[in-house]
Amino acid sequence: MNSTDLAIDVSHLVTHYGSRKILDDISFQARQGEIMVIMGGSGSGKSTLLRHLLGLHQPTSGSIRLLGKDITQLSADEMYDLRKNMGVAFQGGALFNSMTVGENVELPLREHTRLDENTMRIMSRMKLEVVNLAGFENLMPSELSGGMIKRAALARAIVMDPRLLFFDEPSAGLDPVVSAELDELILILRDAMNMTIVVVTHELESAFKIADRITVLDQGRILMSDTVAAVRASTNERIQSLLNRTPRNEAINPDEYMERLTREIF
Amino acid sequence: MTLNPLLSFVSQVGQRSLQSVREVGYHAALLAEAFYWLLFGHWRRQPVRLGAVFKEAVGVGVNAIPIVALASFATGMMLAIQGIYTLRTFGAEGQVVLGIALSVTREFAPLITGIFVAGRSGSAIAARIGTMQISQEIDALRVIGINPVRYLVAPLLAAMLLTLPALTILSSLVALFGGALYCAGELSLPIDIFFARTFEVLVADDVIHGVLKSFIFAVIVTLIGAGNGFNVSAGAEGVGQATTRAVVLGCIGIILADMVFTFLTSR
Amino acid sequence: MDIQIEDRPPYKVVRLSGDVDLHSSPRAREAILDCLKQKAPLLVDLSAVSYMDSSGVSSLVEGYQTAKKQGLEFALVAVAQSAMNVLKLARLDKVFPIHASLDERMAQQR
Repeated sequence: MNSTDLAIDVSHLVTHYGSRKILDDISFQARQGEIMVIMGGSGSGKSTLLRHLLGLHQPTSGSIRLLGKDITQLSADEMYDLRKNMGVAFQGGALFNSMTVGENVELPLREHTRLDENTMRIMSRMKLEVVNLAGFENLMPSELSGGMIKRAALARAIVMDPRLLFFDEPSAGLDPVVSAELDELILILRDAMNMTIVVVTHELESAFKIADRITVLDQGRILMSDTVAAVRASTNERIQSLLNRTPRNEAINPDEYMERLTREIF
Repeated sequence: MTLNPLLSFVSQVGQRSLQSVREVGYHAALLAEAFYWLLFGHWRRQPVRLGAVFKEAVGVGVNAIPIVALASFATGMMLAIQGIYTLRTFGAEGQVVLGIALSVTREFAPLITGIFVAGRSGSAIAARIGTMQISQEIDALRVIGINPVRYLVAPLLAAMLLTLPALTILSSLVALFGGALYCAGELSLPIDIFFARTFEVLVADDVIHGVLKSFIFAVIVTLIGAGNGFNVSAGAEGVGQATTRAVVLGCIGIILADMVFTFLTSR
Repeated sequence: MDIQIEDRPPYKVVRLSGDVDLHSSPRAREAILDCLKQKAPLLVDLSAVSYMDSSGVSSLVEGYQTAKKQGLEFALVAVAQSAMNVLKLARLDKVFPIHASLDERMAQQR
């Protein structure tokens, strides 16, 4: 893989929360135009990884290169410029409740560009068309259903035509039909705009449908980062149990276990 | 690990103090950042928008007029009642105007305004920012490239700094009017005479004293409200706690700052 | 981005080339709306466009609607693939009149 066409290049990322290690030696890459799905159960560290990819936290060590720039080293101004090329759709949508749907979608344009008012409104309405929310721009977020909120959040994330799109749990809390539509939308966006899309999810079905490559996280470590076929064929026990949805049943280290139970007592 | 109770107590005191120091430091940094964006945001391509400042000014200032006016009126009247009652023992009830005029402009008007704005807006600020924090709206601002302090705190701070002094002056006038009304009834002192004597005894310094305090209170209410909002981490309950904390700490902060300021300037 | 404006009576032809993005699209918009002010039917040649984002498409939408209101023809010519993808995303490829080439349009005219 040529390093210049890597849209995302994470290497040896280590992060802590307080003194607890959350992510341990995370390395993976994604090419421009690729859909990378980050998978893992709850507590696997996938949300933390996403927050680091978004530059919301400073890691303990390691580097995160987005579009060739190491965001752990960027100045505030450089990061500000990079953010124009990044779109994020949060799990709960994170629409601003004091603004209409249309104002929400326009906000990145207002902050980053000096485009004509008409241009901005047409652009935001176009994106609402793309996510099938045409005509909803004057509603408040509180008037939308869960699926509509996610789509509105996606419209806001792509209004600047970013080269990188991050999507946190697109299917969480949605019925299967709506979440299948969102999956479809993700594929269309990649094909039309050649976006690099990072999707964080625990939904296997959705992951296999949209992913070019899958990164499987478990307890803060990468189990594997490879193509869909390779992940399916993997013989790794944890991956298989994730695929087959069997509860984890690993060997117990008696000393560590006792220490956890009795810490700060003896 | 067994700790003896004394050691445990000392360690708790230590941790509490450390936390307090950390919190003061956090709020100081918040203040510095908010001022930074107000002054230099334009050069950083992230100006604080005038529209946002006016919107906040209506919310924290204009909408607070009725309640502040009512409280000030009652306080002015209460001061007159109490003042006449006390001074009558010396047969000096005529001096009540001096007492009311000075205590209202220097002390009561800024304090009442500050406390009421802390109750109304300090909690509202904490609730708004806290809710945005748990719904990831703050994160959304950051990933869009909008600094949350610039977008949420700086306009509020500007609005508070603009409206609190104005509210304080309004509060002074209404409280004096309340006092005058009572004196008119009790001492048959015409209202115009009351005000004429008030402006005779007041010097510019007294008014400035009250206004300066209101600037300090504006900063305290904004920072404690916003700071508690940003530090919400755990759900709706966290937002509730943050609003309560914002009001309680805001009021305490105002009273303590008032004491220190008065001590330093009135000796 | 470069803009060339050419007179091909009865048309005015606006030829955009290079990247039509957030920085350059306001100039494209202005050029399009200026031509329409002169009451000329308009062809926008997109053959040399290397990249077009939705602000560029938005300018085309505004131009099209302005032309329509004045009863003027407005069409896209030789749309480059990258621009076509963005048009398709918003299903605008089904809305704009699109011609394969300038010559083709001129031939139909005669």
